[in-house]
Amino acid sequence: MHLSRIFRGLLFPTQDMVSSELLELNEKTREYGLILTPLDIEQMMVVRSQVLHMYGRVELGIEVSKRLIEVFSASSFIQQENYADTLNELHEVFYYLRNETEDRIGDMKLIDMMMVLFEEECEGSLELLKSKLEEYADAFRRELSRTESSQEGEDGEWDLRI
Amino acid sequence: MGSEDLNHNLNVTPRGMICKSRLMRNQYTVSLMNEGMRAGLLASQDVMRIQHGLMQILKELIQRYTQGESSSVTTETAESILTSIMYAADAYLFELETPEQAVAQLKSMDVQQIYDRGVKKVSQCFEETKALYKEVMANKLDIPVEAYHLTIEESLPVFLRKYGIVFEAHNTMASIDYPLAVDDMRLQGVFYMKQYLERLQMENDFCSLFDPQECMDLLVNYGKECRFDYRIELFNMYELVLHQAIFSLLSGGAPNCIRISESQFNRLEQRFMSLTESQIHSVLFKGMAQLQQALPLYSRLKAYMDACRLNLVHRVTNAAKHSSLRAVVITEREKSEQSMIISFHEEDRLSDIALRKLWHEIMACERVEDKVNLILSRVHSLHDYLDLLESDCLLGDEYDHLFHSFGNMELAILAKLIFYEELRGDSRDLRSILLMAISYESEWHMEFVRSLGRMDPERVQAIEKVMDAVDYEQMTFY
Repeated sequence: MHLSRIFRGLLFPTQDMVSSELLELNEKTREYGLILTPLDIEQMMVVRSQVLHMYGRVELGIEVSKRLIEVFSASSFIQQENYADTLNELHEVFYYLRNETEDRIGDMKLIDMMMVLFEEECEGSLELLKSKLEEYADAFRRELSRTESSQEGEDGEWDLRI
Repeated sequence: MGSEDLNHNLNVTPRGMICKSRLMRNQYTVSLMNEGMRAGLLASQDVMRIQHGLMQILKELIQRYTQGESSSVTTETAESILTSIMYAADAYLFELETPEQAVAQLKSMDVQQIYDRGVKKVSQCFEETKALYKEVMANKLDIPVEAYHLTIEESLPVFLRKYGIVFEAHNTMASIDYPLAVDDMRLQGVFYMKQYLERLQMENDFCSLFDPQECMDLLVNYGKECRFDYRIELFNMYELVLHQAIFSLLSGGAPNCIRISESQFNRLEQRFMSLTESQIHSVLFKGMAQLQQALPLYSRLKAYMDACRLNLVHRVTNAAKHSSLRAVVITEREKSEQSMIISFHEEDRLSDIALRKLWHEIMACERVEDKVNLILSRVHSLHDYLDLLESDCLLGDEYDHLFHSFGNMELAILAKLIFYEELRGDSRDLRSILLMAISYESEWHMEFVRSLGRMDPERVQAIEKVMDAVDYEQMTFY
C-alpha cells in the first residue's frame, strides 16, 4: 500500500497553499538575512517527499518544515548561500532521528534539541550534527530497552472484575 | 459479526445486483466498494468521497495517536491505524441484513458516521467477549493439558488487557495455542476472539457431559497409543471425546460413555474395515445423529458437532485404509500397566548451590569410577541428572560408565526423553530407533545412544518394556 502517496494525494495541502504558508515565514526570517524563494520551497518539498519515502513515514502537514525554518533561521552558522541546502539536509536529519528514537520524542523537542547541538557542539557542521545525533539515538534506544525490560513482568493479571 | 460463508457460487451477476462471491469477509468495505462500482450502485464520485472520508478519519486518528506531539508516523503505524478503521467500518456494514443495504449506506451515509457505528459494534463485541471469558474461565475443564490452560489462563487475559478498539481493532495479539475442533481464521481481532471463546465454551459444555475420570483415562490411553506426553501436545480434547462417544455408541456402549473395550474395538475394526468410504460416511453420520438425540444438547452445539463430522469421516476412512484404527479409536488399557514406580525422587532435588558444588567435586575426580559413584550417591532427581548431563562434567567413555551403572527404569526414562520425537505417533521399536541416523542436540544424547547400542539385545528389550509401561505424566522433572 503506497499510503504516503495516497495520503499526500488526498489530504496534503496543495502546492500553492504550502508555498504561500512557507513564503510567509520570510517575514520572520528576513531579520536574520534569510529568504526562501518559491523555487527553494518547491525543491524543499521534493526533498521532503523523498526523505519521507526513504524513511517510510507518513506526514500530515508542513508543521515540521515550518518549525525547522523558524528555529534554524536564528542560527549564527547559517547564511543565505547555504540556507536552502541546509534546510533540505535538516529535513533528512529530522526524519532519520524520528525513526531512530522510535517516535518516543515529540517533533518540537527533537527540533529544539537538534538546534542546541548544531549551535553549541557542532558549530554549524551538519556532518558533526548527524554523528552526534546517531550517538544520541543509540544511547536513547539502549535506555529504552533497559527500561522496557525492567518493566516486563509488571503486566498485572487481567482483572475479572473489569 | 459472524463468519458465514459469503462465497455463494454465482457466476453471472447482472448489473444492479451485488455478486456475493466477490465480497471478502476480511476486506468487506473495500470489496463492497469495488462490487458496488461494478454493479453500478456506486459512482466513482461516491468512492472518492468515501476514500476522502476514510483518509480524514485516518488523519484525526494519527493526531490522536501521537497525542499532538508529532505530525508524522511510520508507514506501518499509519497502515495499521487505517486497517483498524476499515475493521470498524466492516463491523458495521457486515451486520446489515444484505450487502445491497450496506452499499446503500456507503452511498448515502457520512463515512464518519459509518466508522462511529462500527467502533460501537467493536466495543460492544469486546464487552461481550470479556463476559464470555469469565464464563469460560469459571467452567474450564479439569484436564492436565498445558496448552488448554495456558491459552485460557494466560493468553486470553493478555488479549483482553492489550486489545485496542481504536488503533488496533484488527489485531488479535495473543498466542492462542490450544486448537479448536473447528476454527475460522478468516476472522481477526475481537470478532475472532469472541468466536474462539464461543466455540471453546461449546466444547467445554460437551466434555462436561462425560465423567471426568473417564476423560482422564482417555487422555492417559491416548498418550500411550500415540507414545507422547499428552500434557504438552497440541490436540483438541472435545474432538477426542466426541469421537470416542460416537465409537462407543456404534459399538454398543452408552452414549455418555467414552471407554472403548478391546471387544468393542474389535467390533468397530471389523465393521470399518469392511465398509467403503461412503458407507463409513453414512455410519458415522448416523452415529452422530444418535448421539445428538441421546445427549442433552442445545441446538448451537449440535450445529457445531455437525461441522466436525467430515473430519471424523476422513480420519476413520484413512485409518481403515492403513489398518491403523487403534490411533483413532482409543481403547481401554490394563490398569496394572500404570503401576510403575519411578526411581527418581522429586523431594531429593538439590539446590543450585549444592549442584554447583557437586559439579566442582565431579570435575576434581580423576578416576571415572569416583565420578560415577559421586553422581550415583548424591543425585536422586531427574531434574538434577539432566542438569549434570547438560553441564559437560563427563567426557567420552565416562558417560558410558554412568549409563551402564543405571537401572532399566532410569535408562527407560532417559530414552523416553531423548527419543520423544522418534517415539511420538510412531510404532518403531527402540532398536530401530537406535539405528536411525539422527543428529543429536547434545553430546550426552549421542553417548547415550552409543551406550544403549553396546548393550545386550535382551537388555535393550527389557528397557523398551519399561518404556512402554512408563507414562510421561509419571515422569516429573523434580
